[in-house]
Amino acid sequence: MNDADLDQLLSEPLPERDAADFSVALMESITQHEARPARILSWISAGVMLVVIVAACLFGASSFGQGDLGAHSLAIPAMLTFLACLLSYVVLQSVRE
Amino acid sequence: MDDSALVERAVGTRDVAAFSQLARLHQSRVRGLLLRLTRGNHAAADDLAQETFLEAWRGIANFRGESSFSTWLYRIAYSRFLMQARKRKPDEQLGDWQETTPSGESATQARIDLERAFAKLSPPESAALTMCFALGLSNTEAAAAMDIPLGTLKSHVLRGREKLKAILGDPG
Repeated sequence: MNDADLDQLLSEPLPERDAADFSVALMESITQHEARPARILSWISAGVMLVVIVAACLFGASSFGQGDLGAHSLAIPAMLTFLACLLSYVVLQSVRE
Repeated sequence: MDDSALVERAVGTRDVAAFSQLARLHQSRVRGLLLRLTRGNHAAADDLAQETFLEAWRGIANFRGESSFSTWLYRIAYSRFLMQARKRKPDEQLGDWQETTPSGESATQARIDLERAFAKLSPPESAALTMCFALGLSNTEAAAAMDIPLGTLKSHVLRGREKLKAILGDPG
């Protein structure tokens, strides 16, 4: 093979590759990458909210423990716990999306 | 719409659609370059190409237009390849054209021989020859893409050509 033949062979364009699958995979990667800060923020929000609600429940339970609320003594902490679970579920669902 | 307009849109408004169009325009050549560097390993080349475009998307705000967008992409692709090559264990084998080139591919025998010969070159020689010939970059652009001095690029091209001639059977 002489220089001219080699140059000609080397100068041939690289074979065309189909963009379809590659582009779809790339767009998925970019979407995941873009969603990362929001996902991290959601997890932090969920953690902070859970801590706040648990602290409120504990504070409420200790306050109620000092007074006589009769039948309501369990209802209010139970309601707060239910609310905490509900809110956590909502936040976790949005994180998954 | 040309590259610069698409880049402007991708930078200005983080327009994914504009970047997607840029990726579609350049994916074939970036994948082709990486396929040569990985010695015909399609999976490894495509993984590296994905990483290249993702890195380009992350850093597109840093693209100042001093070179063409494609040269900037080749630079990322080549540095990604080198980073991965450094991590690879010494005994880990890359692809082999004989094994990975699909049999149904309409490649001429000369091209198959050329790709097999490319597999015997060092990565800088392979990259330099591919950029300067198949991708049509000037020596200066190729040197910038490989982040090496112009003189070093020229010696890679020269040595690579000599090796290819010897492998492909130079009668002279």
